[in-house]
Order: sequence, then C-alpha cells, then structure tokens
Amino acid sequence: MTPDSVRNAWYPVGLLSDLNPDGKESLLLGETITIFGSDMGEPRVECGGRGLPVVPRFGHLWTSLGAPDKDLFTIPEADHPDRTLVDVGVVRVKCSPLRAVENFLDIAHFPFVHTDILGAESHPEVSDYQVKIRDDVDEVWATKVEFYQPQAAKSAGGGIMTEYMYRVPTPTCSILYKTCPPRPGEWDVIALFVQPLTEDLCDVWPWMALFDDESAMTDLIHFQQLIFLQDRSILESQIPKRLPLDPAMETPTRADLTSVAYRRWLKRQNYTYGAQLVAG
Amino acid sequence: MAIETEARWVPIAVSCDILDGTVIPARLPTGPIAVWRSASGSLYANGDRCPHRGMRLSQGFVRGETLSCIYHGWRFGADGACQKIPAHPKVSPPKTINCGPLPVTEANGVVWGAATSPVDAPDQFVGHDALRSLVVAASTDAIASACEGEWVGEAIAVTLGGQNTILLLNPYGPAEVLVIALVPRGLTAPDLVRVSTALEALRRSAEAVGEAA
Amino acid sequence: MILYDYILSPSCYKLRLLASLLDVPLELRAVDFHPGREHKGAALLALNPAGCLPILVDGDLVLTESAAILAYLAAQSGPNWLADGDPQAIALQQQWLSFSHRLAEALGGARLVEMLHFDGDLEALQSDGIAALRELEAALFTRRIAGGTFLVGDMPSIADIACFPYVALAPDGSISLDPYPSIRLWMRALRSLPGFIEMPGIHRLHELAPDPFAKDLS
Ligand SMILES: N[C@@H](CCC(=O)N[C@@H](CS)C(=O)NCC(=O)O)C(=O)O
Ligand code: FES
Ligand SMILES: [Fe+2]
Repeated sequence: MTPDSVRNAWYPVGLLSDLNPDGKESLLLGETITIFGSDMGEPRVECGGRGLPVVPRFGHLWTSLGAPDKDLFTIPEADHPDRTLVDVGVVRVKCSPLRAVENFLDIAHFPFVHTDILGAESHPEVSDYQVKIRDDVDEVWATKVEFYQPQAAKSAGGGIMTEYMYRVPTPTCSILYKTCPPRPGEWDVIALFVQPLTEDLCDVWPWMALFDDESAMTDLIHFQQLIFLQDRSILESQIPKRLPLDPAMETPTRADLTSVAYRRWLKRQNYTYGAQLVAG
Repeated sequence: MAIETEARWVPIAVSCDILDGTVIPARLPTGPIAVWRSASGSLYANGDRCPHRGMRLSQGFVRGETLSCIYHGWRFGADGACQKIPAHPKVSPPKTINCGPLPVTEANGVVWGAATSPVDAPDQFVGHDALRSLVVAASTDAIASACEGEWVGEAIAVTLGGQNTILLLNPYGPAEVLVIALVPRGLTAPDLVRVSTALEALRRSAEAVGEAA
Repeated sequence: MILYDYILSPSCYKLRLLASLLDVPLELRAVDFHPGREHKGAALLALNPAGCLPILVDGDLVLTESAAILAYLAAQSGPNWLADGDPQAIALQQQWLSFSHRLAEALGGARLVEMLHFDGDLEALQSDGIAALRELEAALFTRRIAGGTFLVGDMPSIADIACFPYVALAPDGSISLDPYPSIRLWMRALRSLPGFIEMPGIHRLHELAPDPFAKDLS
C-alpha cells in the first residue's frame, strides 16, 4: 500500500502553457492519469474516472491522488514583478524521484559534473553550512552554503563565490536560492519539480524565477537544460535505483548534511515511494 | 556452493581493450565490476558502485595510480581504499571507505576476474591470443549449437574463418553471453578480419537459434 | 556564419564540435526546440521547410543537413578532415555520412522518446540502434587490426564527427555502450583531440587536465 504521505502530496503534472483540451495521458505513482487543459475554464486531472484536486501554480499544473492535508507550498520571493519566469520544460529520467531531488541538493558534484560552469576541479571544497528540519513548516532547509563557481548563471561574467540556500517543501520538489549576479542582495530562484511516474522513473520539470534583463528567454532555458542534462546520465547510473534510507548503505560526509537531513525527514514521514528501506 | 563459483576465474575482457590510464565496465556472475589500468600499467578491478552515492565507477576516470568517481571525484587506490574526497581536501578519508578490490589477472591476452581469490591460475591456451569480445543475445547452448563446436571444459573449440578458434564464455544471463575469441598467435591481418567476420555471422545464427527455440 | 542551434541536439553539437576542432567561430542562435517547438514556427520554417535543426546561414547560403554543413566547414577551414583524391576514401566517407543518418534515426530517435516525450516505437528504435552499433563496432575493430583508430584513413575526418554524437548519447535512449570495446576506444580518441568540446551527456576526459591533487597522492 502506498502510504498516505505519498498519496496526499502535491505533484506537478504539466506545463500550464502546454495543456491539451483533448487530454493527455501520464502516470502518477504508477497510476494512469489524464490531464485536460481548457480554453476557458479550469484544467482538470482524472484518474480512473475520478476527478483529482488541481492547483495551477509556478507555470505548472499540480495534483494529488489523495486528499492533501496541506496547501501546495508557495515561493513568495518568486512573486517580484521584475523576475523573469522560465518554464524549462520536461525531461524524463530513469531514476527514483528522490534521487533526482537529492542530486539537486548536492553541491559537491559541481566540479565534476558541471565542470567550469557551476564548479571547477581546482575549487572542490565544500565548507560547513547549516541544515535543519524546520518543524514549524515541516521543510528541510540548508543555509550559508558557499561554493566557488566559474559561471554561476547565464548572466555571470566570471568566477564568483556563490551563496546558496536550499529548501525542500515537499518530498519530490526542491527550491534553491542563489546569489544573483546582476542584483546583489537578491536571490535567484531555481526549482526542480519532480513528478514520480513510478518508483524508478520520473518526469522532471525545472522552473526558474530570475533577475535577468539581458539574456534571451531561450538562452535561459538552454542554460538550465544544459545543467540538468549533465546530471541525467549520473542519475540513471546510480545503484541501487531507489534512494537508500538506511544510513549504512551509502557513505555521507559533512558536505552531504542536506542529503542526510532529507533522508531522515523522508523516513520520519514514512515517505517511502522511490526509497529503499533496508540494505539488499 | 557459492564459494566455489566465486573463487573461480571468469573471462571478462580483452587485455588490449583496456589502455593504460582507463577504466571499463565488466561483469562477474556476482555483479557488475569496474576494471582499470593505472598510468603505470597495473591492472585492478573493484565493484562497479561507488561507496559514496552509488555511482558506477566504470564511468569514472583514471589519474596516475587512482580511480576517480565521476560524480564527486572520490579517489580510490590499488587496495580499494579511498585516498581523497575532493569536497574535504584537507581531511584524510577514513580507512573504512573502500570500493571493494577484486582479484584480476591476465593470460593469453584475456583479462580474468573473480569474486574471491581462486587457488589456481586461469586456464591456459598455449599458442593462442585474444582477438576480440562480443556480447551475444543467446544462451551458451545456442552458441554451441550454432557453431557446431566442441566443448573443451567451459570453452568451445571451433573452426572460424578457417582458424582454430577458442570461444571463452561469460554468461551474463540466461540469454546473454560475453564471448571472447582466441585465435592462433601470428595470424595475418586478413586472417584476423576473416575470424572477426565469422564471429559476427556466428552471433547472427546463435541469436536466430535462440529465437526459434 | 550563423548556426541555429539547440543545446541538446546531437546534430547541432557535431557542428559546434567540428567548428571548435577547426577553431572556426560560429555565431550561435539558440532555438527553443523543447519545450517551445520554435523550429516548427513560421520564422524557422521559412529557413528550413523541413522543420528541423541544424540550420547554417552563411551570407546567401542556407544549409540544413548536418553532413553537408560538416563538409562545408571542413572544406573551408580543415581540408584534411575531408577525404579527397583516393576513390576508396571518398566512398567510405560518404558511406559513414549516410550511416550517421541511420544512427540519428535509431539512437537519436530512442533518445527523444526516452528523454523528451517524443512519439515513436521505442523497441524498434532501440533494436535498430543496437544493430547499427554492432556494425560500427565490427568496422572499428577491423580498423584496429589495420592499425587505424578512426573510420576512414589515418586521421579523424568528418565521418567520425558525423557519427560520434549519436553513439556517445546512446545511453540517453537506454541503449548500453558497455558491450562495445572498439567503440569505446574510438570515442576516447575523439574526446582526446585538441579543441574537443562537450555537450550535456558527453562529458570531457577529466584526466587530460592536470591533477589538482598530484602532490598529495604521489
Ligand atoms: N534544472 C535543474 C537541474 C538541477 C540543477 O541545476 N541543480 C543544481 C545542479 S544539480 C544547481 O545548483 N543549479 C544551480 C544553477 O543552475 O545555477 C535546476 O533547475 O537547477
Ligand atoms: S558517488 Fe562516487 S564520489 Fe560521490
Ligand atoms: Fe547537477
């Protein structure tokens, strides 16, 4: 049985700009769903003839197979009118949805996977940062994450120390806030919304809210697709496919404290879809 | 018994397919492995799974005498021990972090691997050298019957392209086999090409046999 | 020269790659292929009615086939990347350029289905892709017996560049490259060329850069 925490969570299922009035089939947690756009009224999602709850937000349509006990999270920082909102488009990845989120929370891979863009082999060090499971909002947060980046964003002119904050508001979504080269003092917002198709297959919908008046929209999309597709071949090769929640299965270091907190938080709420509980 | 099957040499690759300073993926009956040759030419094998976050080490890279994982760059030495964690460059990695070294040896231009150390050396094929490997999507029986060869222990002896050829078999599954062909030493280039072409034909018929079955 | 480009397209990448190997500047115009389907929009259909990428515009000349664009770049800036004079080499080069279309259809097609939600018969694409990889493996093995590394002659040519991206990205379409040692060596030789550039899914050989920990680990 799929635990309630899994059924009741909100999941992205499509781009609002690309919904089909005739319906489009997809999968959510292994169940077939149909997503209907509409020229006038509201978009709908059906599963086995049953209507599901929907929320349009952040350029995507969100739904749930159960009865969500929480509203879909918000990203207040993204509301600023000067921000460019970027729908990056879907990428399918043959991996656990939880591995996709965990990779997004990890900076130590930048020098090797995003070489000379988000990291450089000459600057691999991850300094200590702060992580907590915030009980007030039931979210994982990592702050004061600093890393040297050769080209932190499309708009970046050269190498800089970038500061990040990471936030996991729901098990299959993660948001990062990072130094914004054109606007010191503000944060760029980059999110990874993951639709779990099955326990080891997911559709990933990256989304961004940036301060960038210079770059063309297509350049922003390509930059993010470039980054994410560098991750994809890694995600499809990790063994085991499902994210081990047993700490003995893999070997975290201080640089992985966000991932450690994420796994603990998943375990605590019995979010086991895409996870492996015991070694084997 | 598990111990018996594990303490046994299995043909896993052709020696000259692993250049100095490179790593390749291979398989033992116990699972996937990474086989690598250091810059100085020493050959090593270990489990194809990084202890950090499970990335396949065969997709990594070799620098000097270490194998690096492509994901976060952890570096492993000849004994499988982790020597460097780039995210914490000033820290010596705990001795317990290890990628699981495995026995590996070379004979007749073939790389042999084992899950635990065998007592004996691998089979010798005097006067023969490895030509090439290929993966056949059929059973070992389908291969044997397609080539009308003769079983010699766990290998098949067969005439291919006019040459006395020995086929070493490493079954990956019930219908997937790594075949390494050995040919007499000293053949000319056109002879070698003929054997290679015959191997392709053999694969086609073995797979047809398999499909018909 | 303007290249209408998509960052995830192997057919565009091969042109960026050859241009980099030849040190030829290209002006890139990013096309919103996915999710925007801009290549099917009026402006780009006017340039290429077939509705696909890449498109190279050089003055009045508009080229829309990647093999032709490779030939154009090489003829202008790297004639030793083109077979020339020897009838057998000319024919083989043409053969591999045609073969690259088979790779694009099968391996490239499987990748678009698996990665970007394109329609297609995945199993058929994958089995055609494996058949093509086996052919390539056998041909490259034959080249190795003759002491060669590349598809045609002693040097890398546009034939290699035409085929390389689809092959290297085969795993994106769930087609393993593990069974092909000669392909692995060939790809390594191409990735070692001075001026080689990467694309998402095809990473660089990190070991070619100096070892940042050489002192610690000696
Ligand atoms: N498309 C995702 C891909 C995942 C990703 O890019 N995450 C990490 C790298 S795994 C990141 O820090 N990105 C920061 C950036 O793109 O600037 C995203 O929106 O960022
Ligand atoms: S998974 Fe190998 S270094 Fe992190
Ligand atoms: Fe990444």
